[in-house]
Amino acid sequence: MPITLLLLLPALALVGGVFLWPLLRYGWLSLQASSVLTGLVPVPNGGANWQRLLADARFWQDAAQTLRFAGLSLALELLLGLAFALLLHRPLPRRGLVRALVLLPWALPTTVMALGWRWILNDPFGPLNGVLRSAGLPAYGFLSEPATTWVFTVLADVWKTTPFVALLLLAGLQAIPAELEEALRLEGAGPWQRLRRLTLPLLAPYLLLAALFRLAQALGVFDLIQVLTGGGPASSTESLALYAYLNAMRFLDFGYAATVMLGMFALLLALSALVLLVQGLRQRLQQARGLS
Amino acid sequence: MAKPLPPRGGHTLPLLAALGWSLLPLVWQLLTSLRTPEALVLQGPGAWLQGWTLANYRQVLQGDPPFWRYLLNSTLLGAASTALTLLLAIPAAYGLQRQRAALRGALSLLLLAAAMFPYVLLFLALLELARALGWGNQLLALALPYAGLSLPLAVLLLRAAFADLPPELEDAARLEGLNLWQRLRWVLLPLLTPAIASTAILVFLFSWNEYPIALTWISRSDLLTLPVAMARIAGSSVYAVPYGAFAAATVLGGLPLLGLVLLFQRQIVSGLTQGAVKG
Repeated sequence: MPITLLLLLPALALVGGVFLWPLLRYGWLSLQASSVLTGLVPVPNGGANWQRLLADARFWQDAAQTLRFAGLSLALELLLGLAFALLLHRPLPRRGLVRALVLLPWALPTTVMALGWRWILNDPFGPLNGVLRSAGLPAYGFLSEPATTWVFTVLADVWKTTPFVALLLLAGLQAIPAELEEALRLEGAGPWQRLRRLTLPLLAPYLLLAALFRLAQALGVFDLIQVLTGGGPASSTESLALYAYLNAMRFLDFGYAATVMLGMFALLLALSALVLLVQGLRQRLQQARGLS
Repeated sequence: MAKPLPPRGGHTLPLLAALGWSLLPLVWQLLTSLRTPEALVLQGPGAWLQGWTLANYRQVLQGDPPFWRYLLNSTLLGAASTALTLLLAIPAAYGLQRQRAALRGALSLLLLAAAMFPYVLLFLALLELARALGWGNQLLALALPYAGLSLPLAVLLLRAAFADLPPELEDAARLEGLNLWQRLRWVLLPLLTPAIASTAILVFLFSWNEYPIALTWISRSDLLTLPVAMARIAGSSVYAVPYGAFAAATVLGGLPLLGLVLLFQRQIVSGLTQGAVKG
C-alpha cells in the first residue's frame, strides 16, 4: 500500500468510528425493542419502532418546532451576519480588538451563556423586564409563555452564532477584488446597487456554505434548549435532539431513541438536498438569463 | 478613544451597536455577579448604589468541588484532544494532498459533510461504546471522540495549507536525500505553523465547549467539564435559582475564553476563513 494512503488511515478509521459506526448501529437498533421492558436487551421487533415514529404526534410536533427554530435562526443569522461582515470589512480603528470582541459570544460554551440568558429573560427580575418596566409596561414571562418562548430561544441562538456566520462571510468579502467595486462606483452605482450587483452574487458560495452549516447545526440544537428552557413550557421549545436524548436517557428506550435520531437524520438530508437543489436551480436560471 | 477616526466616517453608530449586541449580555453577567441576592430584586432609582459584594465569587470558588476544578478538567481534556487531533490530522492532511485528484475530491467532500454533521446525533452509540469499553467517568478518554469529531475540519484546514506550499520545495528536499519524516519535520511543518496554530485553537475551543458527550460519559462531580458543571447548576432548580452565584460562575467560566480569543483572534479568524475559502 502506498505510504500516503497509510498516513491517511488512522484518521479515517477514527472518523469512521465516530461518524459511521453510530449510524449503522442506529439502523440496527431501530429494528429492536431495547428498553426497560426488555431489560435493555435488544429483541427484534420488526418495524414497530418505525410505525410508532410515523404515528408519534410528539415527534412530528418537535420536528415542526425544530424547523421553525432553524428557519428563523438561519434567516436572522444570515442577515445579521452579513451586516456584521460588511461592517468589519471596512477600515476600523483597533480592528483586531473589535473582531475579538464581536467573536466572543461564539467562543463561549453554549451552556454558560444559556444560563446567562435565563437570567436576562427572568420574569420579573431580569434586565429585559427591567426595560419593559421603565417603559411603563407590565413584566412578561419570556420563558413561560408557550406561544412565544421559542422566539427567545432563537434570540439566544442568533446572539451566539452570528459571529461565526459573519466571519465566514467576511472571508468572502475579502476575496472580492477592490477594483471591481471601484469600477462600479465610477459607473455611478450607489452602495445598495453595488451590494446587489456585485457583492451578493460573488458572496453566494459563502452564503450557501454558511447556510448549510448553520442549518445542520440548528436542526441539531440541543445544548441551548436543554439549559435555557428544558424544552418547556409545555414542550413548546422541545427540539428533535432533545426528544431523542429524553428517549434514551430518561425513558431508557434505546431502540426508539435510535429511530428518532435516524428520522432526524433523514430530515436533515432532505433539507440539505433541498437547499442545494434551490441553489442549483437559481444558478441555472441566472446563467440562462446571462446568455439571453 | 485616542485613535483617529477611520478615513470613511458614518459607521461609528453601527459599530457601537454591534459591540453592544455582543457585549451587553456579558456585561450584565458581570454586574449581576457583583451583587447580593437582595440587591438583584431591588427596583427604583438608587437601587444601583447598594448591595455590591464579592460573596458570589467566594461561594463559587469554595463550592464542592471548587470551581477551578472544572476549569482544570476542561483545560486538561482540551489539551489532550488538541494533541491527539493534530497527531492524526497532520499526516492525514499530507496523505490526502498526495492522493489523485478524484480520490482527494471525494474524501474532502465526505470530510466536509462530517464537519457539518450535527454530532449530537451520535451520542447514544458513543455512550454504548464507552460503557462497553469501561470508559465512563474517565476524563481523558473523551479525547478520543473529541479527536474523531474534530478531525474532519482539522484535516481539511491542514490539507489546504499543504496545498499552498510550492511542490518544488518537497522535490528539492527529496533530492537532498531527506526521507518522508525528515521532509515533514524539517521542511514542511515549519512553514505550516500558522495553519497548525489556527487548527489547534479551533479544536481546543470545540473540546472546551462540547456538551452532550461529556454529559453522558461523566457522572462523577469532580470529573465534570465546565459546560456540564454549568448545566448541572442550572438544572438544580428553576425557581429559587442563586443568580448571583450563577453569574459569578459564567464570568469565571468565560474569562479563560476571553483571554484565548483576545490572544488568538488572528488564528481563529484565519482558521474559520481558510475553512470557508478552501474547505
